[in-house]
Amino acid sequence: MSRVVVIGSGLAGLVAANRLADGGADVVLLSKGIGGLQLGQGTVDVLGYTPERVTNPIKAVTKVDKGHPYAAIGAQGVLTALSYLKELVPDLLVGDPEANYHLPTAVGALRPTCLAQPSMLAGNLKAGSAVVVVGLRRLKDFQPELVAGNLARTELPDGGRVSARAINVDAVAREGEIDSSGLVFANAFDDPAFRARFAAMLAPQLNDGEIVALPAVIGLKDRQAHQDLSTQLGHPIFEIPLPPPSVAGLRLNQALNARAQAAGVRMVSGVRTVGFTADGDRIRSVRNATVPAEREYRADAFVLATGGFEAGALSMDSYGTVTETLFGLPLVGAENTPLIHGDYWGGEQPIFRVGVAVDPQMRVLGNGQPVYANLRAAGDLIAGSSRWSEKSGDGIAAASAVLAADSILKEL
Amino acid sequence: MATDGLEFAGHSLSRASLDACVKCTICETQCPVAAVTPLFSGPKYVGPQAERFRNGESVDHSLDYCSSCGTCTLVCPQGVQIAELNSQARAVMKADHMPLRDKLIGQTVLMGKVMTPVAPIAKAALNNKPIRKVMEAVVKVHEDAPMPPPQSQTFEGWFRKRPTPAGPFPRGPVVFFHGCAGGYFEVETSKKSVEVLEYLGYQVIVPKQGCCGLAQQSNGLFKGATKDVLKLCDDLRSAGKDLTIVSSSGSCTGMLKHEAHEIMGVEDERLKDVGTRIVDMMEFLLDLHEAGELPTDFAPIGMKVPYHAPCQLKSQGIGKPALEVLRLIPDLEVVDSGAVCCGIAGTYGLKKEKYEVAQAVGKPLFDMVKATSSELALCDTETCRWQIQKSSGVRTEHPIYLIHRAYGLS
Ligand SMILES: Cc1cc2nc3c(=O)[nH]c(=O)nc-3n(C[C@H](O)[C@H](O)[C@H](O)COP(=O)(O)OP(=O)(O)OC[C@H]3O[C@@H](n4cnc5c(N)ncnc54)[C@H](O)[C@@H]3O)c2cc1C
Ligand code: SF4
Ligand code: SF4
Ligand code: SF4
Repeated sequence: MSRVVVIGSGLAGLVAANRLADGGADVVLLSKGIGGLQLGQGTVDVLGYTPERVTNPIKAVTKVDKGHPYAAIGAQGVLTALSYLKELVPDLLVGDPEANYHLPTAVGALRPTCLAQPSMLAGNLKAGSAVVVVGLRRLKDFQPELVAGNLARTELPDGGRVSARAINVDAVAREGEIDSSGLVFANAFDDPAFRARFAAMLAPQLNDGEIVALPAVIGLKDRQAHQDLSTQLGHPIFEIPLPPPSVAGLRLNQALNARAQAAGVRMVSGVRTVGFTADGDRIRSVRNATVPAEREYRADAFVLATGGFEAGALSMDSYGTVTETLFGLPLVGAENTPLIHGDYWGGEQPIFRVGVAVDPQMRVLGNGQPVYANLRAAGDLIAGSSRWSEKSGDGIAAASAVLAADSILKEL
Repeated sequence: MATDGLEFAGHSLSRASLDACVKCTICETQCPVAAVTPLFSGPKYVGPQAERFRNGESVDHSLDYCSSCGTCTLVCPQGVQIAELNSQARAVMKADHMPLRDKLIGQTVLMGKVMTPVAPIAKAALNNKPIRKVMEAVVKVHEDAPMPPPQSQTFEGWFRKRPTPAGPFPRGPVVFFHGCAGGYFEVETSKKSVEVLEYLGYQVIVPKQGCCGLAQQSNGLFKGATKDVLKLCDDLRSAGKDLTIVSSSGSCTGMLKHEAHEIMGVEDERLKDVGTRIVDMMEFLLDLHEAGELPTDFAPIGMKVPYHAPCQLKSQGIGKPALEVLRLIPDLEVVDSGAVCCGIAGTYGLKKEKYEVAQAVGKPLFDMVKATSSELALCDTETCRWQIQKSSGVRTEHPIYLIHRAYGLS
């Protein structure tokens, strides 16, 4: 069996590892820590703003500029990845690649996203709906007055508005704690008895026909928790993702990790990959900084899914020089000056577009040629997109991972 | 020269890592203790945040609820040495008022030596409720805490008394390290490891060996632990230079590989030498397999067993080698527990005030074990095995058991 090493366990690394294992490769997944999934919303953004608000993400993908990751990935690459993601976690992600949902955020704005969790879907609101935003007194990361106020004054993508009001429930997630984290609440909501108590406190405060908005803490393990709560309340409910610790993101991270493990992926976590050996134009092995002696991992092919600046895959020194920290790969976009401008509220920071250039097989390019024949990149490391403002990071990560994996599988 | 443990604790490299914390909360979501009790405010608060306010003694006494399982350090994407910071701060906090109990259960060799010859009596005593009640009251070890199974023969006794194996040993010599538990309580694990190594063609050398000091270290007794770990390095080095040291005691291996250095700041050539030569038993077998040198003519074992990778193995950064090796046995279905921690974390779960917390930490694991098999569970470290077996009621052994069996040795 051929060995493939994937480095990084964010969305890109996890998708690549699953895909490779499904295709019959012997996969080792190396990562120095948990990736970005549980810092996000637990949804899959494909393209949200170009900068106009996007309603059909696949159509928008075909129109990106040359140099954008989606130019190399293509619409078909995104479609394959989205259907693969839905296959990987069938009870967790649903959606139509041709139509973005517009889901309320924890500040009450509407955010375009492509795949979402079933527990969030009732948040794709119609004009004229009545929403009641329910806060938990002991959860400080969700302020229902803020959400309801902003939601009520937001025009929906198709025109029209909703009405929204805020209420609070003082449910005790854990005795002895007046300030519980979202995770503590999620664990409590996994318990049917807690859900029943909560429903009994909330139901009398609801008006007929209202849609109930709740922070995304309605269970971590129990995938039916939101359905059960909705039935008990007799109202549709939807979850609004929170800042980290994001329970919605945790669900996705756990599900993709469990799936990889079930597919036979060997995981080595907690150690940074710090070096490599190459034979001409092929990477032969990478080295982990295992204490006290480094360990070597040989493979036939490698997927570099180490993320961007936040994950330490890219770094900038005090002279403003940006480097890719593992292989020293050539970067594009780094020649722009200034990489960071001083106007906090001003336009986009050019530094976000720095990364590696790739061909349609996701091989890393230097001077238009693959730098190493058996090295592919996936995820944040790929140059040319300001993911947070475009809402494109998840789609790029998943699609580049699938393309990298598929082209490796073809070669093995 | 070994640095003084407590001084090191205040001015360590770990402390320098705290500025890398971006407050992402990833560690908070994985800490098994914070998940089950409001008494512990979690790794981010107790580690990089509280550390900023420490000048000598800790301002936050919930620190003592950290079990030192190391999970937070493992998952932190920014390289913050959270668990190490906690262990160091605890050592400072306890410097002046260490409970007698923590001193006692740090002394693993002593406990083993005392208990071995009188094993049947010790066993009776440890299983005896009134005596345990007295223990709980006097030394504050919880009356239901798991206790090591005392044996009537030590590993050393067996190794020296058995007929000398004739060989040949085409693969040459290796040194075997069993740790105190493997010497006094987990005698079967040590025997089976030696027999597998010999079956593979290695000549097994077992030097006289003391304790690695892990139990003292995790209770904040850095001075004694440093002395012990260096003494052990001398013991192991006496068996021969450059030889691979194979260990069936997952937690002690971690102490030698990185904890003595990273937590207590031991800078010593002897430790570096032993640390780079020591490998976990299952890691050793996996490395052989990767090199194409492991015979895989395993007899089928038609069984479904739960496997739990202990924290102290996970923090060695080698993945879960036992899973990979056990997968080579035909018909054997090994199910990874996926659980973070069994709760015992060395000696943490023995303590009266921590017992309930430790049981809650381990509950998802115990439930998983019971749901997977009523016959057998597997885990690489001793205290975790005692904990899993005691709390799930399912017999729990080192993975070498099934390797031994699949090679037809039992
Ligand atoms: C502030 C902000 C807001 C964002 N908002 C959005 C949004 O609204 N919508 C959207 O779609 N995207 C958004 N993004 C982008 C999105 O977060 C990323 O595109 C996505 O998470 C990338 O996943 P990844 O797998 O490439 O990287 P990551 O999730 O960062 O994973 C990188 C992995 O590599 C590992 N790693 C790194 N270096 C090494 C090494 N040397 N050795 C071993 N392992 C290593 C890390 O530990 C980690 O496991 C945002 C990003 C930021 C910073
Ligand atoms: S995981 Fe690391 S960076 Fe994140 S909060 Fe914890 S210590 Fe800080
Ligand atoms: S410092 Fe920057 S990245 Fe961190 S939370 Fe604030 S704005 Fe976000
Ligand atoms: S070492 Fe374990 S118990 Fe202590 S803070 Fe870290 S994860 Fe929690």
